[in-house]
Parts: sequence; structure tokens; C-alpha cells
Amino acid sequence: MSASTTPAWKEWVFTTDHKRIGVMYLVGSMAAFVVAGLMALLIRVEQSSLGPTIFEDPTVVGDNYNTWLYFHGAAMILAFLIPGLTGFFANYFLPLMIGAADVAFPRINAFSVWLFFVAIILALMGFVIPDTPDIMWTGYPPYSVTTSANTAFYVFTVHLLGFSSILGAVNFLITVIYMRAPGMGWNQLNVFVWTTVAAFVIQLIFIPVLASAVTMLLFDKYLGTHFFDAAAGGDVLLYQNLFWFYSHPAVYVIFLPAMGVLIEVVAGMAKNMVFNYKACVYGGIFGITLLSGEVWVHHLYIAGMPDWIRVGQMVSTLLISVPVGLMVMSLWGTLYRSSITYNTAMLYAAACFFLVLIGGLTGIPLAMVSMTVHLSETSFVHAHFHYIMALFSTFAIFAGVYYWFPKMTGKMANEKIGKLGFLINFAGVNITFWPLFIIGLDGMPRRYWDYEMYPQFEPYHQVALYGAILIAIGMAITILNWIGSAIGGEKASDNPWGAQSLEWTDTVSPPGAGNFKHEIKIAADWTPYNYGK
Amino acid sequence: MSEAAAGHHEHHWEWSWAPMAVVIGVFLILPLGFSTFFVYENVSLTIALCGIGTPILLAGIAKWVAEGLTVKPLVEGLAGVAIPLFIVSEVFIFLGLFASYWTIRLSAGEMWPPEGTPVFDKSIPLIMTVILVASSITYHVAEVKAEAKDLGSFRNWVMITLVLGFVFLGLTIYEYQHLLHMDFGPSTNSYSTAFYTITGFHASHVLVGLCIFIAVLIPAFKGLENHTFTSSAGVYWHFVDVVWFFVASQLYFW
Repeated sequence: MSASTTPAWKEWVFTTDHKRIGVMYLVGSMAAFVVAGLMALLIRVEQSSLGPTIFEDPTVVGDNYNTWLYFHGAAMILAFLIPGLTGFFANYFLPLMIGAADVAFPRINAFSVWLFFVAIILALMGFVIPDTPDIMWTGYPPYSVTTSANTAFYVFTVHLLGFSSILGAVNFLITVIYMRAPGMGWNQLNVFVWTTVAAFVIQLIFIPVLASAVTMLLFDKYLGTHFFDAAAGGDVLLYQNLFWFYSHPAVYVIFLPAMGVLIEVVAGMAKNMVFNYKACVYGGIFGITLLSGEVWVHHLYIAGMPDWIRVGQMVSTLLISVPVGLMVMSLWGTLYRSSITYNTAMLYAAACFFLVLIGGLTGIPLAMVSMTVHLSETSFVHAHFHYIMALFSTFAIFAGVYYWFPKMTGKMANEKIGKLGFLINFAGVNITFWPLFIIGLDGMPRRYWDYEMYPQFEPYHQVALYGAILIAIGMAITILNWIGSAIGGEKASDNPWGAQSLEWTDTVSPPGAGNFKHEIKIAADWTPYNYGK
Repeated sequence: MSEAAAGHHEHHWEWSWAPMAVVIGVFLILPLGFSTFFVYENVSLTIALCGIGTPILLAGIAKWVAEGLTVKPLVEGLAGVAIPLFIVSEVFIFLGLFASYWTIRLSAGEMWPPEGTPVFDKSIPLIMTVILVASSITYHVAEVKAEAKDLGSFRNWVMITLVLGFVFLGLTIYEYQHLLHMDFGPSTNSYSTAFYTITGFHASHVLVGLCIFIAVLIPAFKGLENHTFTSSAGVYWHFVDVVWFFVASQLYFW
């Protein structure tokens, strides 16, 4: 059967091609991003003034403040950041970067993306049912067991996304091990490929533990078991430990590919070799992967534990800044004596240099037990992890989308509108989150819908709301720019940036079925960053 | 689709409806079926969802298996390395459950076993162990027969394995009924919590393994046998067997 006899819609809807699956991941994760972003805006509106702003009573089960908090957190992390970075970027670009025609198991890949889609549908169905989940993205018992809201939808959303990620992990690890182009050695892989490998190793090992935790939660609530019921011999902290045993490494599942995307963008835009490639890969990426599973208890500093565990966790948490530092060093070093093109992709990447610095430096006091006891559950923590997770990682995704936009669509993105959107976004995120650092230090509790005991914080919340409105405008401009440019943009050449990685040098824009028109053979002295320096 | 295998040179867009069908089937049966039954207690809706979901799921699996047996992959034999990787994640899901059981058990100290626990009949888990080990051996014999291209013996040994597996599941159900009869249900105490969750989770793996064997067996009647598929199913089954040693030793004999 040749391509012409198969209807085009079937080739899209039932596709097993990694690039089309990648596009489906991008569309799905951006949809989750938009809905969860609107939830964040509603939360900021509610907090912008003392007392009830939108709702009289946010504790009524159903569509309320708590359900927004739940959906915002769960959707942003599980349905936007992780699938955006490991679903979209890995699917579209990893096989191209290693010179493969597709992934090892194309049908399992399609299976993964459909699991991801039904998980989003299930999460959105939470707003259709009367008892919308209201248990944050963490689902801590005992509340998640005793609430009259629907905990099952939360559990199954985690199951579907988790199964999708585990299969993706197996698929991509096998792809990288067995399907690299002939001659491609381990030191010739793109840094992004390495970060994706590390992220999938973490997913493979740690997701199952979260799956077991939420399964026990489901059984406790609906089958009457007693895993987390202290009165019947269970252990309520058990859930928190199992949850963070996955969910702390999940931070690196997001951070590592975001860093990988940035290094690709910076190397391509600065036309330079990646600085300290081996230290970055074997020190930075491997180091983070090894340490990622030993630091989860720092989420529980105030849950009650012996001091020796706290001190041990403090040391391992601080230790992880060493491999992170190695990766950041590569990021900066790549700029040294280079010729930088300041287009939209590079501006987003440059902003990430700043955002990771703020997010990283505010993490150090939070690693210290003595500081954390005071800062836990304040908006200082909220602002800290938003700088890393929300701002740094999202800007990295945007940098990547702008960088690879010509490759994916065959069109150039509009630079003027792109830069305008960037400036509004960058101003917006800083205006939103700086005030939260300040009031967090003064004791503003995070998550609260009302703070009548702290009227002095109201102006800061108002500033944060103005920032959030700016972000909404900036995001709308950015997303409309992508859609508009994909339809009516200027035609792009196959390698508009003059980059040296395989996806630019050896495929057309956009790449067709089968990716490469000829056999790829890799010379011993080839690197994806071969800029003659 | 089988036609797609013919011409990798002309490079057309590959597609298959099987993955989407399996996902839709799973989605209707598990999250929605569970929620309508346990959360909303609407049994007729549960029956409707499972009634629609099951044929879609089976059609998807049948199509997928058919494609797996006929479409040539880009690189052959990779499933043989993928299954061990997948088992790594299976190990960690069991570790999560065992860690919870150990935490509950060790923090109980002298209070173990908690009130309401009957005296277990230790002969049942011993019989189950013998049956499961035997089924691993019979499947290994089946693999040897398949390698010798003796499809008739292969089918027979797979069927013996299937019978042993279903006897194992039958014993699980028998034991559950026996214990429920003694008022030892999932919600009785912290021991029953761990007992039913872990043995039930293991039994669900046995069931999945048996379904895979059925998917291996049916094409074998048409003379179709894929070496990678057969041996991958075996690796998974041996894993289920090994896990049983931990389940039995930790829950019955400790």
C-alpha cells in the first residue's frame, strides 16, 4: 500500500511515526498548559485581595479553589512539563539526533501517547463530575482518604501517565542503545540525548514506586484497607515517603531534559562546541541521576524525624548542587569566545541562565534544616520551585520550540512577535514571583486562599496578580505566534541556523517518513557541535 | 499493517489502529469501570462500560499481535532486551508494596499478628509454589520445542503451562473465599491490608502472563510463532515465578 492510497487522516490519527507522535505530545501538553495556566490565574485573582474574592466558601466540594490548586499542580507537572520534555522533544528529535528511522517500538510509542491523551481527558473529566478532586497534586492522606471528593480520578490519572512514561522509558533507552547510526560513539551523542536517557532511567526506576503509593491510596479510600490509617496500624508518613521517593527525582526528569534542550539551543546559536562535554555528561548528568534517589526526605523536614536523617539529607541535597553546577558551567562556558545570534530562541535560553541562578540560589537555604523549619509551607518555597520548575523549565521548552520551529514546520517563526512575547513573559514571571519571595520570608503561608491575619501582604499579592496577567498576555502572544507562523510563516531552509547536529544537516524541513533519504554513517571525528573551533 | 512491511525503501507514513484501541479499552474498563462501581456505585454503568471496552480491547490486542507476527521491525529481537528493562520497573512497584508492608509490620513490634488474624493453612502456599515452579519448567520445555520447530509439542506444552497457571489462580480464589469466610477481609486489620494487596497484585501479574500465553498460543494453531515474542513471554513468566517466592516467604512464612 503506498502513501497515496491511505487517507491522510488515518496516517495522522493512527500514526506510529515518532515525529507525528511528538507533535501530538506537543499539542496535548500545551493544551494542559493553557488550562492549568488559567487555573493559576484564578488562584492569583483569589489571593489578590483579603477575604473572599471569587468564592464565598472555598471548602465546598465541587468546583472551587482547592480543585484549582489540584488541577494546576497535577496538570503542570504530570501533563505539561514531563510529557512536554520527555514526550515531545524526545519523540521528535532524539531519533533524528542519533540517525535512526524511528524508535525501537513504534506501536508502543503510539500506545504511550494515547495513554497520555486519555489521562488528560480523565483529569479534565474531574471538572465534569460533581465531586472534583481537591487533594493537591500530592494527594496526601489522611485528607485524600477522608474527603468526599473523587480521589480515584487522581489515582488513575497518575497510573495512566505513569504507565505511559514507563513504556516510553523502555522504548527510548532501547532506541539509544541499539539504533544509533553506524559509527556513533557514546561521546558523539548530543547532550540532549544524554539528558533524555538519564530522565528515562529515573522514570523507569521511580515511577513504579509512586504507582504503588497511589494504588494503596485508592485501596484505602475505596476498599477499606489500612495502609495509611495510623489508628489501625498503618503509617501516614509512609505515603509521603513513597510519594517523594518518585516526585523528587521527577524534578530531575524535568530539569535534565530542559538543560539538554538549552545546551542544544546555546551551542546552535553561539556556534560553539559544548564546553566541558565530558564533565557535563559523566559528572553532571550521571551525578544528578545517581543522587536523585537519595534526597527525597528533604521534603519532609518538618514531618518529624531523627536529626541524623535530617543532617544526612541536608548533605546529600547540598551535594546535588555540584553536578548541577557542572551542567550550568557547560551552559555558560559554551558562550565563551563565541558568535551569538540573539534571536527569540536565544533570548529564552539567556533568560534561563538568570532563572536557574535565582531558583538554584534560593534552593540552598531551603536545603539547610535550620532555615527550612522556618521557611517550609511559606510562599518562599512556592516561589523557589516555580523559578526552577515553572519558569526555567517552561522557558527552556519555549527556547526549544523556537529553535526547532523551522525544522518541525518548514516555516520561520515570526521574530518580532516572538521577541515581544518573550519580553512580556520575562517581565511577567519576575513580577509575579519576586513578591512571593519577600512575603514568604515574612511568613506568608503558601496555598492559602485567604490571609486575614496578614493584611500587610495584600499589596504584594496585587503586584503578583499584575505579573500573572502579563504572563497570560505573553503566553497568548507566543502561542498565537506559533500557530500563525506554522500556517503562514516565511519558508525555512533545511538548516537556517547553520547548526551541525544530524537533525539539521541531514534531513529536510520538515523531515518526511523514514527521516533520512540516505544511510547515515558517522566518522570518528564527527561531533554534533562541529563548528570548527 | 502488514503491507507497510513490504517497502521500507519508499518510506511512507506508518500507522496502526491497534494501540489506540487497546488504550480506549483499558480506559473504559479500568479508570471508568472502577470509578462507576466503587465511587458512584452505578453497576449498570460499569457493566455498560466494560461491555463496550472489552471487545475494543480484545480487537486491539488481536490486531497488535497479528502485526507483531507479520510486520518486520526496524531492528529485530529488541523485545528480548526491552522485557528485562520493563521488569526493572515491575521490581520497583513490588518493592514499594513490600516496603509498605515491612514498615507496618516492623513498627507493630510485639503486636504482630494483629487482632483478627486467623491461623493460616500453610499447605496452600506450598502447593501454589510447586505449581508455579512447575509451570516455569513446562514453559521452558515449550520454548525448547519451539526452537526445534516442533510447533505441535510447543502448543501442548504452552497449554499445560496455561492449565497450571489457571490452577494457581483457582487456588488463590479458593484461599480468598476460605479467609473471607473466617471474617478476614481486606479491611480487617493491617496484616489483611498487606496480604490481600500484595497477593492480589501478584495474582494480577499471573493473569496478565496467562493472557500473554493465550496470545502466543492462538497464532501457533495457524503455524505462526515468533521467537522473540515466545521468549519474552517466558522471561516475564519466570519473573512472576520469582516474585512469588518473596510474596510467599514474606506473607505466609515470616
